[in-house]
Amino acid sequence: MNPEKFWNPYVAGVVLGLVLLTSFLVMGKGLGASGGVNRVAVCAVDVVASDHVEDNSYMARLKANGRPLLDSYFVFEILGVLLGGVVAAFSAGRLKGGVIRGPRIGVSSRLAFALAGGVLMGVAARLARGCTSGQALTGGALLSAGSWVFMLAVFAGGYALAYFMRRQWT
Amino acid sequence: MIFPFESLGSADREVGLVVAVLIGFAFGFVLERAGFGRSTKLAAQFYLNDMTVFKVMFGAIVTAMLGLVIADGLGLADFQVIAESAASTTYMWPMLIGGLLLGAGFIISGYCPGTSIVGAASGNLDALFTIVGVGLGSLLFSEFFPLIQGFYASGDQGQMFLYQLLDIPPALLAGGVAVMAVGCFVGAEVVEKIYTRKMSGAEPRPVPVAPRRLVFATFGFATLLGLALLTVPVGARPQVETEMCAACSMEKIDAEELARRMLDEPWKLLILDTRERSAYEEKRIPGSEHRALAELDSYGLAYSPGVKDLVLVAADGLGYAPPAAMKYPGRVLMLEGGFAAWKKFALEEPPALTGDASDEERKDFLFRTSVHQKMTGSKAAPPPPVKATNFKPPKKKRGGGCDG
Repeated sequence: MNPEKFWNPYVAGVVLGLVLLTSFLVMGKGLGASGGVNRVAVCAVDVVASDHVEDNSYMARLKANGRPLLDSYFVFEILGVLLGGVVAAFSAGRLKGGVIRGPRIGVSSRLAFALAGGVLMGVAARLARGCTSGQALTGGALLSAGSWVFMLAVFAGGYALAYFMRRQWT
Repeated sequence: MIFPFESLGSADREVGLVVAVLIGFAFGFVLERAGFGRSTKLAAQFYLNDMTVFKVMFGAIVTAMLGLVIADGLGLADFQVIAESAASTTYMWPMLIGGLLLGAGFIISGYCPGTSIVGAASGNLDALFTIVGVGLGSLLFSEFFPLIQGFYASGDQGQMFLYQLLDIPPALLAGGVAVMAVGCFVGAEVVEKIYTRKMSGAEPRPVPVAPRRLVFATFGFATLLGLALLTVPVGARPQVETEMCAACSMEKIDAEELARRMLDEPWKLLILDTRERSAYEEKRIPGSEHRALAELDSYGLAYSPGVKDLVLVAADGLGYAPPAAMKYPGRVLMLEGGFAAWKKFALEEPPALTGDASDEERKDFLFRTSVHQKMTGSKAAPPPPVKATNFKPPKKKRGGGCDG
């Protein structure tokens, strides 16, 4: 199989939409990513400094229902995302280690940008109660006003900074 | 309602978590196959030479939206109930700023949080760095939460949906969005070609048009189907009738009646407050207990003796009957207008009476004042004294005395 060969974007969109629809119909929930990552991160803190989690009003809420931190729908869902990604990449012959980068940037700079952008998104997703999956995709399909504001803002933020990031990508 | 399966969220929680893994698996699989495990492909969206991100995302939104509209039209599910359960509350300002920051993080890292998981799954080290970053960023947010708490809660609009703002049925708006999407897709194809030529100088590779046409046609058909189902009278939708009428046939109790019964026979009432815990802690109906709606099932209502009347309290009235509550063997009542109505009735001082109030109004006022006093502990002004408006001086008999 050609490793550069991806699904037709419209077909991929419809299939992704059907996955989202299934999630709505079966669970009454949408898809998510950053919420699950947050829980895993808080759980890691909980292992080393449990008191700290209980003292912080934002993190303590995750423990309020008395269940283990990882006993959450969205943690299991991102576990599935990971598995699905591995299977899809393997079966398409794309499962190989590496750093994906543009032609004009070195490996260490690329990794630094990847980490910094991640930190920014971690903050942003908590602020907005979700990321591109939980807010834009899920809320967008449900026609939530806040989700559409969020989605337009994501594209606006990306385009606004694209010029300054061009050395990394083009 | 047939969908969603409430029990997967509570009673059959383990099964629900397995379903979560399966749904996540499909999500991750599709993202990878769309090419979203590679930062260069994702970032290209912002240089306009590859608009895959836009096409996949918008295509998925339109598909799920139209699918839900059709399921609603067929009576398999209720669009608004699912929307209220799965969409978050709208906080305008943090969502706007959060969106801008996330977009910035997207172009810096080359991934969004979901695609970074898929990227890492394909073995890309940069994606792994991004996941770690997302985790660190969300911890950073928690650390600074006390400082930004005010902004975090600003612009609270409650759950706000575009079809409510426009006051049109979801099916109509979904159709409009689908038409707009197809228009944008056609535009995206043109933009892509222009920028591919501009950036690489080469002619863009021809892509087959058949899948695109098929998808657009499906969207058109689904839109028309959704609109056609809108014209089917609600009575003709069997499932919706039985299921939704669990809500409309649910007995209601108004705030006044509830107050009366709380004073007369409090032992016959089981008042469950389903609002947010914080709201409950701040102000509640005396004697009520807090039960999150989602966890109602785990309190074993179905096994209670059912001697008391169960009164459900929501923020401002429930749109549907929670199945877990309907299993309660006794009477289930819903507080009409929810806590908002209760607050208006019992926690606000009744308007002062005017002197010419009727006996009925007077009695009502006395009752409300006594409720207000009992619930808030404050003394209210006594009602104004009865003004002798009916007093008429006795007629003088004419002809007597010395005026004749």
